Order: sequence, then structure tokens, then C-alpha cells
Amino acid sequence: MELVLLILVPLAFAILIALRPAQEAKFHAVIGTLLAAGIGVNALGRFDWGTPATMQLSAAWDWLPTLGLRLSVGVDSVSLMLIALTLLLGPICVFCSFTAIQEKERTYYGWLLVLQAAMTGVFASRDIVLFYTCFEFTLVPMYVLISLFGSTNRKAAATKFFLYTFTGSVITLAGLVYIAWFNATQLDSIGIQSAGRWTFDIAALEAAAQAMPANVQGWLLLAMMCGFAIKIPLFPVHTWLPLAHTEAPTAGSVVLAGVLLKLGTYGMFRFVLPFLPAAVLEYAPIIATLSIIGILYGGLICWVQTDVKKLVAYSSVAHLGFCILGLAALNTVGITGSILYMINHGLSTGALFLLIGMVYERYHTRSMKELGGLACKMPVWATFMVFFTMASVGLPGLNGFISEFMCLMGAFQAGDKWGSLPGGTGGDLGFWYALIAGLGMIIAAMYLLYMVGRVVWGPLVLPAGHDDHGHDGGGSHGPLPTDLCAREIFVLLPLAVLCIALGLFPKPVIKALEPAVNNVVETINATGKRPDAASGVKAMNDLPGLPSSADVRHVSDADVSVASSSPTVQWGGALSGGDK
Amino acid sequence: MGTDLFMLAQAGFPEPMGGATLAHYLLISVLMFAIGLIGFLTRRNLIVMFLCTELMFQAAGIALIAFSRFHLEHSGQTFVIFVLTVAAAEAAMALALVVLLFRKRESLDADEWTEMKG
Amino acid sequence: MTIASDIMGSILHGALGAPGASGAALPAIEAGPWWVSLIPALPLLACILCGVSAAMRIKSKLPAWITVGCLGVSFALTAAMFQQLAGGRSVTIAWEWINVAWTDSGGHERSLIANFGFYVDSLTCLWMLFVTGLATLIALYASEYMSHDVGTGYCRFFAAFGLFVFSMACLVMGDNLILLYLGWEGVGLCSYLLIGYFYKKPSAVAAAKKAFIMNRIGDLGLALGIFLAFVQFGSVEYKVILEAAQPWLAAAQAGHFDEIPATVQLIPILLMIGAFGKSAQLPLYVWLPDAMEGPTPVSALIHAATMVTAGVYLIARTYPLFLVSEYALPIVAWVGALTALVAATIGMAQFDIKRIMAYSTVSQLGYMFAGLGVLTSTGAAFHVFTHAFFKASLFLSCGAVMHGFAGQLDLRKLSGVGFMKGWQFVAIAMLVGCLNLAGFPFTAGYFSKDMILAEAFVTPHMAPIGWILLLTAGLTAYYTFRVFFRVFVGPKYYEPGDEVHAHSDHGHGDHGHGEHGHDAHGHAGDHGHAAGEFHPHAPGWAINFVLLTLTVLSVGAAGLYFLGDHGGWVGKMVHASSANYPPIVDLAAHSGEAADAHAHADHGAHGSFLGMDPHKVMYYVSGIVGFVGIAIAFALHYVGRKTAATANADKLVPLLGPIPKLAQGKWFVDEVYDLLIVKPLHLISIVFAYIDKLLVDGLVNAFGWVPRGVGSGLRPLQSGNLHSYAVQMAGGVAVLLLIVFLASIAGL
Repeated sequence: MELVLLILVPLAFAILIALRPAQEAKFHAVIGTLLAAGIGVNALGRFDWGTPATMQLSAAWDWLPTLGLRLSVGVDSVSLMLIALTLLLGPICVFCSFTAIQEKERTYYGWLLVLQAAMTGVFASRDIVLFYTCFEFTLVPMYVLISLFGSTNRKAAATKFFLYTFTGSVITLAGLVYIAWFNATQLDSIGIQSAGRWTFDIAALEAAAQAMPANVQGWLLLAMMCGFAIKIPLFPVHTWLPLAHTEAPTAGSVVLAGVLLKLGTYGMFRFVLPFLPAAVLEYAPIIATLSIIGILYGGLICWVQTDVKKLVAYSSVAHLGFCILGLAALNTVGITGSILYMINHGLSTGALFLLIGMVYERYHTRSMKELGGLACKMPVWATFMVFFTMASVGLPGLNGFISEFMCLMGAFQAGDKWGSLPGGTGGDLGFWYALIAGLGMIIAAMYLLYMVGRVVWGPLVLPAGHDDHGHDGGGSHGPLPTDLCAREIFVLLPLAVLCIALGLFPKPVIKALEPAVNNVVETINATGKRPDAASGVKAMNDLPGLPSSADVRHVSDADVSVASSSPTVQWGGALSGGDK
Repeated sequence: MGTDLFMLAQAGFPEPMGGATLAHYLLISVLMFAIGLIGFLTRRNLIVMFLCTELMFQAAGIALIAFSRFHLEHSGQTFVIFVLTVAAAEAAMALALVVLLFRKRESLDADEWTEMKG
Repeated sequence: MTIASDIMGSILHGALGAPGASGAALPAIEAGPWWVSLIPALPLLACILCGVSAAMRIKSKLPAWITVGCLGVSFALTAAMFQQLAGGRSVTIAWEWINVAWTDSGGHERSLIANFGFYVDSLTCLWMLFVTGLATLIALYASEYMSHDVGTGYCRFFAAFGLFVFSMACLVMGDNLILLYLGWEGVGLCSYLLIGYFYKKPSAVAAAKKAFIMNRIGDLGLALGIFLAFVQFGSVEYKVILEAAQPWLAAAQAGHFDEIPATVQLIPILLMIGAFGKSAQLPLYVWLPDAMEGPTPVSALIHAATMVTAGVYLIARTYPLFLVSEYALPIVAWVGALTALVAATIGMAQFDIKRIMAYSTVSQLGYMFAGLGVLTSTGAAFHVFTHAFFKASLFLSCGAVMHGFAGQLDLRKLSGVGFMKGWQFVAIAMLVGCLNLAGFPFTAGYFSKDMILAEAFVTPHMAPIGWILLLTAGLTAYYTFRVFFRVFVGPKYYEPGDEVHAHSDHGHGDHGHGEHGHDAHGHAGDHGHAAGEFHPHAPGWAINFVLLTLTVLSVGAAGLYFLGDHGGWVGKMVHASSANYPPIVDLAAHSGEAADAHAHADHGAHGSFLGMDPHKVMYYVSGIVGFVGIAIAFALHYVGRKTAATANADKLVPLLGPIPKLAQGKWFVDEVYDLLIVKPLHLISIVFAYIDKLLVDGLVNAFGWVPRGVGSGLRPLQSGNLHSYAVQMAGGVAVLLLIVFLASIAGL
């Protein structure tokens, strides 16, 4: 029940905000997000951490029973952690917008809450259509937030964001529906419980998808990655991200980096890995290569940016590369590291966007040419900035390290050379993948310290119109003091505390993720390498529409005859009925 | 398949409807439709054009009723009732629009209006 | 390959004698006492309290006293730990840190476990004793040295100081390689924060960034080494790794490196890259001299005594892994020896006394690595130990000079400082430090350096290393005493540093935040209001006390040499740990000959120094080399020197052609790196940025243009004319009908 409330409460408050006067919007948004967070805490408490891999807190209602659609929610530890991240960032996004958003407050806070509901829905849903609905519905609030509250180039950024990610996701939907169709029409019910009828239940389709032949899985991998890779974003399809980040309002960037990108990685973890084990095993090196290109290429581009926000945006491309590398390692260490990375990246990069937003509110610029040496004017801000930069660099003792190290280690372990050694897991990655991806660690230090060196350290540089000597007369920042105010510190502190906590005491989190990850890894190893992967399939080589399948034409004919024969039967029935 | 269609069209109705075959009704329907179409394409007067569309509409209705009776399936006739109702409402709307347009330009020539050019 | 195999094999074989029976000879691991965790915890507490002080805007020396107190207790606990240990090994687990478990394809339970656990053996104690001891002393020194910055800057300094000692303790005491990595990067962070302490100075910021990035390059090697160690051994914990390496030691002793898996042999090579980065060895040494931008106590503690010896510690800790690798130790030896030589040549031509000390640190670290490489882990550890004290005292003396003369560090602008009022302690500390560094007979530095030199000649095939190191010893003596003869003796003369003049620029701004870009500013301000009326500022009690203590300790360290056979007290400590050479496994087999094994009773396979036993003759040779170096410095920089700026050495410069200029320009290594790596990489980045904008994003936009193009092509069809729409519709219907008709005729 908590999960349903987590989706409905923000929606209800969004409606409330729409109905009440604008002055109250802030207040309702705070209450709504805090209430959701409270329910979330309750959910964390009710979750049985002894069996973190099983779906819990489930609830389900029939939606369209004829199509097998159900409104079904439930979480395992992975989903729950990401929901917790969403719920944590919710109030933070509201609090950080108090001074930045002065007009159209109802629209802003309302859509922010809708966004939160949609993101929670993605992580909570156990039905593919519900998942997809929420997945796509995140686009609408984000589109509104960027196009109405962004900076100068906001319209183009919002449109590109929407169209790019939407185009990809539609193909993902096609892939997911294909699996449902396959389950309903192509599978014998022997062995797989739910086969032979229409269902969109994730667990049921997981079993069905694993029964597909490897070439079908390959095509489905491509289809699914179309949506997920764009969302992550993986190397060649990343260009919407810097634009959207740069133009989005602060809270938009925080949510975008913190949670929206994770929808892609979560999708990969939830759908691609367990659904398509054979294809994943085959294409893991390609995915890993793309992610490594992203790490190096994104990192180097960061290094020559002058816009701080764009730099951090590109750093997301590099960071998410590590995340995908961990997933592509297909072993426990790598995937656990990758899931931790999803959370950690949300915390540290989210905080960096908050910090940049705070400076932007004061000086209305994000250019490193116009900002420098802020440490002497804003020591508290500078302390946080250095802290979160270090978390982002992956300094041991802070959260980023654990996940980055585990992702790299997973990639390293997955070498075919050391399949037989005690610490090796076998796979197609290995030493060189880890080495080249590891160069990203150096590049990360280069660009992030370059940013800190310019903006935080060095001689003081302020944009024209601001007094260089620390006497700004109070008026130039509007209601904000020179250094951070209590509200801003309050926004940053929980993130900082979590960064340290996850860096020093990650074991409970790792242990909670471990069974769920081990299930996936064992699934991949057990079914992906099975010689007759498609044992339960009728006419396994005769699937329609597959270029690599030999007898495509023959099977389509058979299909048509089946399709055309069934109306005839009804026809006859109608005629005979008329005779009476 | 093609020959099946022709044979179907020449078949007689089930009893008690002697004489007329399905082909008769369909022929009338086609004729009405063709007249309406030609009228719509050649005439410029908005009211005449509108009448022509109504003619095509009813042609389709006749075909539906004929098939419905032929198959002893009542849903076709039910549809026609719906179509008639909608057509009546639509006619009221369309005539009102035509009157409005006439008031604007003092003309019923369809070529007077090209505002929707892309 | 065969040559290297032969070298390494014969080294091990020669030194060890016949392969011994392998057996579990490392002492059993006990559960350590809980309070061992306090040793790293107290500095962390100090760091947190300093942070709280900063938040409470405390403007007193409170943070310094907190730090000194915590570090002092930490030192006391270390001493207690040393007392309790008595030659065994213990592990104290504070809490479980990383723990991932899975079942591999063969059905085995595997796990990656890294605890916040502290592995204590004699090597740990040796390192922690001087780390915490020196940290306490230097914190005391800094309490006075940083006093101009009381306020936020003071808190920031001591917070980073505490964090550094915490990280260093994790590095040294960690019971697994990942915790070592935590400390490794943690000290890197503190180094970054403290080098960049004067964050308004662009050069300090650049130096800090350079140090961090250079270290990160090494860290990547270290990380890969850890990965490979885990893959090979299924664990990152020392207790497993060190045990697992034992069986191969026998093969290594026999020179049968082909019996040892290549992955095992690769591990130390990856680990040593990390060591080269952290300990400023070729080719990653260039960050250390620049790191002198930080306040002097930082240079003394982090960049001379403790952090930079982490690389030596890493190799010593994982010495069994290095012993079983065919190439690892020869590489370490050569890199160390070449670094020692290159850094010494650069040090000879510098004028900034702190930089000279920095290069001498690089050079001495080279000695330590060479010592590890020529199989005297004892010598290396002893040199680390003695070097920590005398180099700290040298740096602190230089710092006192810098502090008193408004940031003046140019040896051409200072002279006869030792004869000025109030500077006697500094001069004595400096003299003792210089004697140690120069390897003057019967000083601690003499004994430790001697061990390495002798072993280089003893160990077969390593004589070239010995000659390089011997030459370097002479150069070291020369440049060390060049500083002493120029700055501390001779005619009295001084020019204040730039901080006096710089003061007028600092009229505005917030004084509390340490933004003045130089440490001695506050004092320069006190004395230098009227331009030209500058008085040197002699050190106060804290600085003098610390200098005196360090002087006594650095002299006293020599006494340790006589506490026991085979390397004295330090030797005992090393022998009792995994860093022991010959490996303990061998000692077990040759219990009676254990002592002989180290004393190289097996003379047949040993190298010699010009036909003599290096162990005996090296005392005299290195002493003479040191004397010669000092004598040359005396002749060139003291004899007949009338002013601060010129000396006899200047006459020699033209005779050497371009060499002095090149050496003064640090052989232009920085410039070469910049040209070969940084510039091209930057260019690539710019190209990538354009590719991203034009090509990758351009393709996306091109896709966006396709529908638009199609749309504009079809646009004329939308004429707005009702009749044309009707005709199009009718035409469309006709075409459809035609298709159906044709299809029915064709019988489809």
C-alpha cells in the first residue's frame, strides 16, 4: 500500500497546488514531498531486509483484464533504494527552488510533484505497460520544467530532450510488447506458467523472454537499448543531455542527473540483463566499449568546457559510463557497484548541480571566465563544492569510490583469461577494459580539479557589476546573503552526510543489493549459456520477421493462414445462428 | 477471391425477399455515390457540394443495409441508424457554417476560401 | 627475458642459498586489542573538531592544541601497540566495510571482503611510530608557524593535518589493499588541500592539481594491481595474499620463474606504478618539487617524512609478491637509482633552498627504492626512518628561515644566518641535518645509506646501481653543504622576501581568511610597515623546541644501528615482518643459518666492491665520498666568499657548457611532458568537443531535419482549395480501387 501512496500522494498534492492560490504552492509542495518521504521511510521500515531479492510491499488491481494489464506494484531492494533516492531528492528540489522560482509557482511545483510520482511509478511498477507509462510520463513534467523555467535556449533544449528520448523509448516499447506477444502466442505453456495468454507481468515475461532464441534476443536487445541507452545516456546518443542540463532550472538538473538518467540504467538492470541473457553475454563487450568511449570522450570534453554546468553535465556521460561498464561486467561485484553508482551519482552530481545553481542565483553566470576564487567570498559554499567534487572524483571514504572501484573491479574480473582463478568470474572484458576505463579516473581528476581550481581557488573573479572586494551592499543577490543561507546548507547537508555514510558504511547497502544481483547473475550464467535456449518455443527457428531466421517466409504464411482461418469459424457460427 | 465476390453479388437474398438480388442494391448505391462524387468535384456552390456529400453518405448507407439484410446480421442496419443521426446533426452544423461563410464574403463559391493553404 | 630471469634468479639464489622447504612460517594472526582503532580515529576526531572550530569561527590556537593533543595520544597508543606486539601479528577489525559475496560457476563461495581492519606487525609499528611521532612534533611547530593565519585558515590547516594523519594511519595499518588504497588517495587529498593552502596563488593551485593528478596516474596502477591481486588470490587481505605467495618463493629462489604464473608476476609491476607516483619516482616525480608551494610544515611532514615513503611501505608490505616476480625488483632498483641521480643533478643547480630539499627528498626516495630493489628491505626501511627525522629537521629549519625572512628562500640573498641573534638553534639543526643527509661518518644517515650501498655491491648483477648510488652520494653531500655554506655561514647578509613588498597590495580584503598568499605575511606585516626597515624574525619556543627534538632524534637514530645485528633495531623490526628478506619461509628451513643467510656467508655468488667485501669496505668508501662532496662545497661556496650572491662556483659554470642551465631548468622534464602529453591531450579534447557538437549532435539534428524536409516537400499539396482536396481524395480512392481490382484479377 505504501507504494501506491507514494505515487498518489504527490499527484494529489499536485492537484491541490493547481487548485489553491499561487502563494500557497511552495507550502503544499513542501508538505507533499515531506509526506511522501515519510511514507518512504515507513516503507523502508516495513520492507523485509532478510529477503531483499523478493518483491515486497506488493499491490495489484486489474486494469484491462482482457489484455492482461494489471496495475501492479512491488519492490525489491534495488527498486526500493532508487525510490528512496527519488524521495530524498524530492524535498531537496522543492527547498532549493524557493528563491530561484518567483513566477508561475503553481505550474512549477505542481509539475515537480507529478514528476516525482512518475519516477516513483517507474521503480515500483511490476507491469511492463505501467512501467512504460510512467517511464514516458516523466517526459511531460520535465518538458514543462525545462521549457518554461530554463535559461535562454530552453525551448530547443526541451524539444530535443522530449523528441530524442521519446523516439528511443517507443522502440523500447515495441520490444517489450513483442515479448508479451511472444509469451501469449509463441510459447507452449509447458514449463512456463503464464505462457499462452496475454500478460504484461514483469516476472512472467522474464521467464518467457529467456526462452527466446539468441538471435531474437539480439534484436530485442537492440530495441530495448534504443530507449535505455538514450536515457542513460550512452556514448553516441548522449547529446541531448548537456543541452538539457545546461538549460534546465536547478531542480530540473538535480532530478535529471539524480533520477531520470537512472531510469535507463534501472531499465537495463531490470529488463535487459535478466530478460535477454544470451544476447547480453554476446553483446556485453560492445556495450562495455561504448561505455568506455563515453568515459574517455565525455571526460575529455569536460576538460575544455567553460560553462560549469555543462562541464558537470558532460561528467554525467563519463560517470554513467562507469555505471554501464559495471553492468556489462555481468558479475556480482560489477553489477552491485553499478547499482551503487546509480545512487551515488544521484547524490554527488545532484549536489554539484545544487551548488552551481546557488552560485548562478547570486551572479547569474556559470562561465568559468567570469567566476573564480569564490573560496574567499563563500567559504561554506567552497567547502561543500570541494567535498562533493571529491565525492564525484571517487575519493575513497566517500560514496563515489565504492561504486567506481567495484565497477572497474567487476570489469577486470570479467576476463576470459582468469575464469579459473579464485577471484575471476570469466567473461569477455578483463584487463584492458579496466585499464582503459581506469584512465577515466585520471581524466575525472583532471576536469573536476580544473573546475575547482578555476571556480573555487585562485584569485577572486566576479562578473561585471559585482564588487570584487567583498562589499556587495546586500542588494545584488536579492534576498540571498553572500555565502550560503541556512536553507541552502540544510539542503546540502543530508546529501553530504549520505556521501560519507555510504562511503564508510556501505556494507548494509551492498548486502541488501547482493541477493537481487546474484539472482540476475545466476540467471545470466544459467540461461544465457544454455545450448538450447529456446526449449519451450513452438517452431523455434521459424519466427516471423527475423532477417537472420532462415524460414521467415514460410512461417509468415502459416501465420496468415491461422489468422484468416479463425474469423471464418466465427462467420460460420453467425450464419448458423441466423438459420435458427 | 475476385470471382467469389461476383458470385456473391449475383446471389439472391434469403427468403422472403424474392426478385431483387444484392447486385441491384449495390448498383443503386454505386450510382448514387458516383453522382455525388461527380457533383462534388464539378460544382462550386457550397450548398450543392454539401448536398452531393449527403448523396454519397446515403449511398454508403444503402450498401450497408443491403449487406446487412443479405447476411441476416442486424448490426449493419443499426449502424445506418447511427449514421443517419450523425448525418442529421452534421447537416445542421454544415448549413449553419455555410450561412456564416456566405455572410462573410456574400458568395457561395467554394474557391473563394483558401485560408487553409499550408 | 632470459637475461632478466637469469639476473633475478641468480640474485635470489645467490642470496638465499638452496631453495628451502616452504612452510607456514609467518607468525599466527591474533585478534588485536580494540584500542588500536583509536590510533587512526584520534586524528580523525581532531579533524572533525577543527571543522567544528571553523564553523564556530574560533579565532585562537585551539585547533592546534586539539590536533597536538590527539596526535600525541595517538603516538602514545602506537608506542603501547609496539610494546604489546612482541614480534607477532594481529588484526583489529573496527567495522566491516566492503563485503560482496557470490557463488562462482564452479559452485565455490567467493567474496570480496575489505574491512576497516588494522593489521599490526612490526613493520606497521615501525612506520606508525615515526608517522605519529613526527606528526605530533610538526603539529606543534605548525602551531607557531601558522599563527599569522589564526581563524578559518588555521582551522582548515589543522583539519587537513588531522585528516592526513588519519589517512596515513589507514594506509599503513590497513589490513587489506583497498583500505591501503583509501589511505593512499586520502593522503593525496590532504596533500592537495595543503599544497593549495594559499589558494589565492595560482601557482599553489596549479601545484596542488598537478600533485593530485600525477598521483592519480600512479593510483590507477595501484588499483589495477589490487584487482589483479584479488583475481589471483581471491582476496585483498594481507593475511591471505602474503600466505598465498609463500609457495612460489621456493621457485623464485631456484630461479624457476617459468613455474610462477604470469599474473602473479604482473601484480607487483602494477603495484609499483602506484608506488612510483606516491613516492615521486621517475617518471612521475615532477609533482613533488612543485608541492613546496604548501606551508613548510606540510612539506616537512607530508612531502618529506611520511606520505612520500608510502611507496616504500607498499613495496615492503607486499615484498613476498615482489620477490616472486622476475622483473619487479630489478625495475624498482633501476628506477630508484636513476631517480636518485637525476634528482641530485637538478638539486645541485637550484637556488631555492626549499626546492633543493625537495629534490634531495626525491633523490633519497630513489635510494630507498634502490635499496628495496637490491634486496635490502632493512636498509630501505632504515633509510626511511633516519630520513624522516633528518629531512623533517632540514625542512623545518628552512621553514624557520623562510618564516623569519619574509618568505626569502633564495640562497643568493641570504648569508651567515647562523651567526645572527636567535638563529643558533636553527643553524645547529640545519648542520646536523646536512651532515646526516651528506652521509657524514657516524651519523644516522651514514649508516642507513651505507647499508643500501653495500648491498647494491653485494647483490649480484647490481653493481651498476651501486656505482650510480655512490656517485649520487657525492653529489648529495655537495648540494647539501652548498646550502649550508651559502646560507648559514659566511658574511652576514639578507634581503627580505617578497612578502614585505607584497604587503602594500593587501590593504583591503578580509584578513581573517588567509588570503594573502604567503605564510609569513603576518609577521612581515608586523615588521615591515616602513619599506626597507625589515628585521628578521627569529623563531619562538615551539619552533626551537621541535627543531632541537628532531636534531636529537636524528642523531639518536644512529644508535639504533647498534641495537642488534643485521641492521640494528630497524632490522629486527623488518625481519619480524613480511618485508623480511630473506623470506621467513627460508629462515624456517635454515634456522641455524638464518643469520648467515643475511650476512652472506655464501660468498661465492656474491658481488664485491673492487674485489673487497662491500660490507666492510663500504663504511670507508661512502665516508670518503661524503667528505669529498663536502670539501668541494666548502671550496666552491665558502672559501673566499665575500657576498651572498656570488661564490667560487660561479667561475666553474662556463666550463660546463649548457649543463648547468639544463640542470637549473630541471632538465626541462615538465616542459617535455607538457609538450608530449598535456598539449596533445588538450588538443584532442578540443577536437572531441567540436566532433560532439558538429558530428554527433549534427547527425541527431540531421535526423530532425528529415521530417521537416519531407514536410516542406509535400506542403504545396495543402493548397487550401476545397476542390483540389476533393480531387486528391477521389484520385486516392481510384488508385486503391484499381489496386484491389488488379489484385482480384491476378487472383491474389
